[in-house]
Amino acid sequence: MTSSEIPSGTAYAAEAALRPRRRRPFTFARLLRGAAPYLLILPVVATIVAILGYPLYHLAQLSFQKYGLFELIAHHGTSVGWANYSSILHDHVFWDVLVRTVVFTVVNVGLTIGIGTLLALLLTKVSTIVRVLLTAGLVLAWSMPPVVAVQVWTWMTDPQNGIFNYVLTKLHVGDYSQHDWLATPFSQLSLTTSLVVWGAIPFVVVTVYAGLSQVSHELVEAAEIDGARPWRVFKDVTFPIVKPIFLILTSLSIIWDFGIFTQPFLLIDQTRINTSNELMGIYLYEEGYVKTDFGRGAAISILMLLIVAVLSIVYVRRMVRMGDEAA
Amino acid sequence: MRVRLTAAAAVILTLAFVASTASARTYRSGSAAASKITVWLQVDAQSGWPNLVAAANQEFESKHPGVNVDVQYQTWGDHLSKFDATLAGGNTPDVIEMGNTEMTKYMAAGAFANLTSQKGSFPNSKNWLKGLAASGIYNGKTFGVPYYAGSRVVTYRSDLFRRAHAKTPTSLAQFTATAKRLGKQNSSKGFSPVYIAGTDWYFAMSFVYDFGGQIAKLKNGKWVGQLESKKAMAGLAAYKRFFQAASRASKTGVENKPQPYDVYSKGKAASIVGPAWFSCCVGKKYTKATKQFVMPSHVKGQGMPGFLGGSDLAVPAGSNDKSLAADWIRIFTSTASEKGLQAKGNIPNATNLLGNSVNERAAKRSWFVPTAKNWVNVENGNVLRTMLARILTGKQSIKDATAFADSNIELTLNQ
Repeated sequence: MTSSEIPSGTAYAAEAALRPRRRRPFTFARLLRGAAPYLLILPVVATIVAILGYPLYHLAQLSFQKYGLFELIAHHGTSVGWANYSSILHDHVFWDVLVRTVVFTVVNVGLTIGIGTLLALLLTKVSTIVRVLLTAGLVLAWSMPPVVAVQVWTWMTDPQNGIFNYVLTKLHVGDYSQHDWLATPFSQLSLTTSLVVWGAIPFVVVTVYAGLSQVSHELVEAAEIDGARPWRVFKDVTFPIVKPIFLILTSLSIIWDFGIFTQPFLLIDQTRINTSNELMGIYLYEEGYVKTDFGRGAAISILMLLIVAVLSIVYVRRMVRMGDEAA
Repeated sequence: MRVRLTAAAAVILTLAFVASTASARTYRSGSAAASKITVWLQVDAQSGWPNLVAAANQEFESKHPGVNVDVQYQTWGDHLSKFDATLAGGNTPDVIEMGNTEMTKYMAAGAFANLTSQKGSFPNSKNWLKGLAASGIYNGKTFGVPYYAGSRVVTYRSDLFRRAHAKTPTSLAQFTATAKRLGKQNSSKGFSPVYIAGTDWYFAMSFVYDFGGQIAKLKNGKWVGQLESKKAMAGLAAYKRFFQAASRASKTGVENKPQPYDVYSKGKAASIVGPAWFSCCVGKKYTKATKQFVMPSHVKGQGMPGFLGGSDLAVPAGSNDKSLAADWIRIFTSTASEKGLQAKGNIPNATNLLGNSVNERAAKRSWFVPTAKNWVNVENGNVLRTMLARILTGKQSIKDATAFADSNIELTLNQ
């Protein structure tokens, strides 16, 4: 090693040390730019933590405790480990309710999306005046609060004075006087389905219709000239374009219908709710609030949360992937 | 990726921070002298006897100058979940009206103040109605003061009964025969000689008790369902026969949907079964012809035991001033106040005040639900309603339906 090599080596090292500094001079602007993503998500994170995080933490804590009326009065529960979870997972009622809720969700989401899409396609074909009337009707149905809608359903299906029984009997469909539309779990959940689907369709129609208006006319026309039938046009031209909308609608509908409470609870009524017609939301309410077993109720909520979270992950992943593809 | 990780870490850190501060919650303790007591009464008082409440408040406020009474009216459907919320928050009312079937669960959990030592200071406490007073006692200690009771009677149209040449029935068989005659004479669709909703368990259980059965009994510290017993099944069979002969109502229907008096006032029933105050709402057209009698037993000459409904007044353990609260109850259940309740068609809380109204005669034979702390869960779980619907629709035999109900009852009561 010669003496002249040493300075040159040092020069190299100095240069190497200088290089990154020259590339990234430490300035306030740079710091701000680096922190920007964090600052941008900060309000969202803070809001989520304040609104969801705190109650969620308490819920999780509660789910590991025995917390009944006695503990409520004493203001503290006793820790029981996983006992609440194991009692739920060993309860056949929970599994029955889970299966029932899944079937209910599949049927409701299927009907909502199916009928909603058909109506949206109809909207693209009809004259302006019919479209306005139809849209107005849908928006009216949409604007009706669920509690009011339940009341209307209850009146229409009342065994003694309801219009359903009156009309069906008058039309000689059969003797429907005193027919109870809520007699069996199947009829109870069917009536609930009719109410839920009726209330959910307008949103689907309006959204899908908005999506359909984005489908270029030329594409459809071209397909038709090539001899494609309506179903083929929908399947291969229209649907792929509006697919993201369907994905969002289906995912949201699944999340809404899986945790539904208001409509079945009010329509079936507390006096008829039992283990053979409970959906997840009602099961949670009955076990937690009605039986005053808040620990068990909390554990059911956590399980429900996990199920919905899994469903949401599928949805979020698909959304992200679609965003990447678009980019 | 790194951005996401850091964001996740930030979320977790914030969560942990929130969590660590969360346990430092404190509760209000009630040591300061109250300038106000809060009373929760059911809306029945608001619509039925507001003057009695006002009179009691006036007397209380003149006796305790500077202390106001804040009466908050509640509904039966949600008053318990609201009460639970106040138990959690530490701001319970000072006096609460409880349905007699709701008491046990709360007494067992220690929600109410023990009033045993001052029991003697409540008006007419020596003569309190036994059935009603029992609902306010747990482990020999008194937690509830009887407020008033109500029994169930038959409200009927005397014009239709006269046309059917029917006298006030003195036995179940006679009433069944009358119902059949009434049905033939009034053949319009949906007309019920006796309107009974299929799952009206208060009425159905009266048959069970009339035939010597019961819902459940305590055996060696465990509750045992009794609906499978021969006597109870005989009662349920009699209920089914009577329903088939007398009611065109839905077999799976509930007794307040529609309200029986609404069916009656529309001319769709010759009689209805329920609380005596049903006579209030039978419609202008039928008010004059409407009369009441005690539901007859299958044994000629006596009444069928009816469900004794009623209310108690209790002082929540978290009340800020329990002695003031107890004093308000003392005033509100005074002889004068109870006489006022009686004038409104209720049964007063003590035997020395009883009169001879149909309501009070019906109360002579009565039954009450098992006094188990979880009984209210059996009620809310609709165990008996499900059983009745299965029996009436023929979906299950009485034997199978009662066996299923018994196992459900035992599971709930022994939890």
